[in-house]
Amino acid sequence: MKPTQADLEAFEDDPLPATPALDDESPFATMMSLFDEAADLVGIDPTNYAVLRKPDTEVKVSVPVTLDDGTMHVFDGYRVQHHQGLGPFIGPMRLDRSLKVDELRALAAWMTWKSAVLNIPFGGAAGGIRINTKLRSRDVLERAVRRYTAEILDLIGPDKDVLTPDIGTDEEVMAWVMDTVSVHQRHTETAVVTGKPLFLAGTRLSEQSVAIGLQTILQLAIERYGFTDRKIEVIIQGAGQVGGSLARILHAAGHRVCGISDLSGALYKFEGLDIPTIMAHRQREGTLEGAPGDYAKLTNAELLALPCDVLVPCAAANALHSRNANDVRAKLIVEGAHGPVSARADRILHDLGIPVVPDILANAGGALVDYFEWVQNRQGLSWIDPVILKRIRRFMTEAWNAVSEVQLRHGVRMRMAANMLAVERVAAADKLRGIYA
Amino acid sequence: MADTTAIEAQPQSDEFNPFLAMAERFEKAADYLGLDAGVREVLTTPDRELTVAIPIVMDDGTIKVFKGYRVQHNFLRGPCKGGIRFAPDVHLDEVRALAAWMTWKCSVVGIPFGGGKGGVICNPHELTQGELERITRRYTAGIMDILGPDRDVPAPDMNTGEQTMAWIMDTYSMHMRRTSTAVVTGKPLNLGGSRGRREATGRGVMISCREALKTIGLRPQDARVVVQGSGNVGGIGALLLHREGHKVVSLSDMWGAIHNDRGLDVPDVLNWIAEHKRLEGYKEADHIPNSEQLFLDCEVLVPAATENQITSKNVDKIKAKLIVEGANGPTTAPADDKLAERGVVVVPDILANAGGVTVSYFEWVQDRMGYFWTEEIVNARLEETMVTAFNEVYRTAQKHDCSLRTAAYILAIGRVSHVYQMRGIFA
Repeated sequence: MKPTQADLEAFEDDPLPATPALDDESPFATMMSLFDEAADLVGIDPTNYAVLRKPDTEVKVSVPVTLDDGTMHVFDGYRVQHHQGLGPFIGPMRLDRSLKVDELRALAAWMTWKSAVLNIPFGGAAGGIRINTKLRSRDVLERAVRRYTAEILDLIGPDKDVLTPDIGTDEEVMAWVMDTVSVHQRHTETAVVTGKPLFLAGTRLSEQSVAIGLQTILQLAIERYGFTDRKIEVIIQGAGQVGGSLARILHAAGHRVCGISDLSGALYKFEGLDIPTIMAHRQREGTLEGAPGDYAKLTNAELLALPCDVLVPCAAANALHSRNANDVRAKLIVEGAHGPVSARADRILHDLGIPVVPDILANAGGALVDYFEWVQNRQGLSWIDPVILKRIRRFMTEAWNAVSEVQLRHGVRMRMAANMLAVERVAAADKLRGIYA
Repeated sequence: MADTTAIEAQPQSDEFNPFLAMAERFEKAADYLGLDAGVREVLTTPDRELTVAIPIVMDDGTIKVFKGYRVQHNFLRGPCKGGIRFAPDVHLDEVRALAAWMTWKCSVVGIPFGGGKGGVICNPHELTQGELERITRRYTAGIMDILGPDRDVPAPDMNTGEQTMAWIMDTYSMHMRRTSTAVVTGKPLNLGGSRGRREATGRGVMISCREALKTIGLRPQDARVVVQGSGNVGGIGALLLHREGHKVVSLSDMWGAIHNDRGLDVPDVLNWIAEHKRLEGYKEADHIPNSEQLFLDCEVLVPAATENQITSKNVDKIKAKLIVEGANGPTTAPADDKLAERGVVVVPDILANAGGVTVSYFEWVQDRMGYFWTEEIVNARLEETMVTAFNEVYRTAQKHDCSLRTAAYILAIGRVSHVYQMRGIFA
């Protein structure tokens, strides 16, 4: 059914419940509370930490756009810049019909912490336009993105704030941003956005990067936790860009991928699935349903409760929650998705003695290629696949070692160790820079 | 940056004037190159000198005005590069000489910078951290229009360090409304600094020493090395020489020297210093006064403490066959001539201690691209730069039949004057 104009506006014009005060119940406050605990454990002076409790800059801009029928509509655009201690801001740009400022604040802060764990020279930011990408035409989206870019032009740039792709922003959208900035600046400015098309100063291996990072983490975990057999049994929830790529890489490396799932359900075979055949089927059909081969058909819930060496949830947030965490029989969990283990499940797993490699570290391959794209654009040099591969491994390994070191030093679980490392690094940089008026 | 382990106060005379010392060496090399008077004048005159007043509110509420300088000696080969020092005896003449020195040093190792130097007349030991921060930020704001990654890139020097550089970076970035790490080097590692920078000067000294020993046909294990100093340059230089198989027989600090002819266990000595802050009391060696250390029986002498140590007065008592100048200006010009007569090889400061500025250059490169190298890569590139520079200086010395010092100046000045001829004078 074609939406009416009233439907559209109802989605996009929600008068800002989206901007609550920075109170205790907001996503930003919830997320920050984890880091408050980390700051406490690290022993950071609260006055040094205070500056991290509020985003550096928040901008709201009006984005007037002429619609296809000649009328005009004004969308809302935002950019939240959390903290610039370590370098220029970097963070997602979203086109989302239910964009909320407080979520942007949380995302921006998350990018500050993630960059610090990875030791890449950025502070965090997030932004976007409240717009319904499903219902607006491509032309309207383009006009909105270009006007939004022009509105925030003074805030963004390779040394100021770098926009990365996220919900609703594909490579074409990123190319519009790059083009708009370049035209305004009167010179080609590629390093202001990442996730650009490969032929327009994009980077190689951007699609496989998260999976490559996960594989690196798995390898390090195998060494650390001393699994008897170096060829491990893995169950992967999710078969898309992350889960699917990871399954292929692990299978090619000789590991046993015993289970994989998507929305249609899970496939399981103890001796290991024939991943190339299954993934070829999924690529053709868009679903695991009906994949050829000999395996047991299970539900997602059943899959998560099977014994294995490593369980890699690469699909939805909160896949492991307080009601199913007790059933987990994996020896190790590596978070491929964003937040696949709920806060309660995290505590349960900790009590069960099942280590969890947190998303902030495990799925950082994506943030790394964004960083690499920025570096390549600054150099004007495009790196070949092996160089990117090697450098993803280098950064993941360095981050793993740094997190492990904090973990040993303080005797905390890995998630807390990663948060502590982040807080420690950001606070140290702040202290050195000082406050300048 | 040389150690701050001053051995003894030297009476001021022409022999010890840094500007005259530089000028004398410049003229000698310029003669070899056959430069005409006009070009000599261009290459010795600083391009730009800026004096700024630095008013700050002291902790007690009074206002005090300090004086700061930034001298840009030459930007023909690229942006200026050079330290900023905070000291009560900062003098414009000295800043000029040091800026010129940086031009030649950058040119010898082939990194794309001209020379600069800056200083603030103040006594850091009598200032609080807050006062130092305000001085640094106001000084930075004062010279901001001539600073920048493509204009002039300061670095730490006497009484300035990582913290000072972080303040400069922050002040500059805030004024520019963007993050600009490449405006200074010597920053902390987590704020755009480079891995391997702390060891860089010592590593360069080790590489220079190792390469020089090859040219005089001495194996590392047969080389007894006396190191004057034990800090950032001398200590780390000695440690790396020890690791590469040289026999380090003596080290010193402000209060005295130790000697063991069979070779010191350098890591053990450095641990002792880390723990006790001085060499005094170290068991596995004889203790001798500093005044005797330079005259010890040895093959290699590495003066890595302070300037004007080997002078016309004591040069005859030096027994080393090879001198590697870790400090800036440890040998005076008259002493230089006597060493040359006796056939003692001197690896000059502008080559031997250029490891520091080379890794500063690497820091600037890494900041510009935003990608940071592993320590192995930094060290490998430093090795390549130093070895190349050493070989170029050595070949120049062979060609002109002159000392390594004169050869280094010939090479350095030749490169700058060549660029000058290519660029021409812009009016």
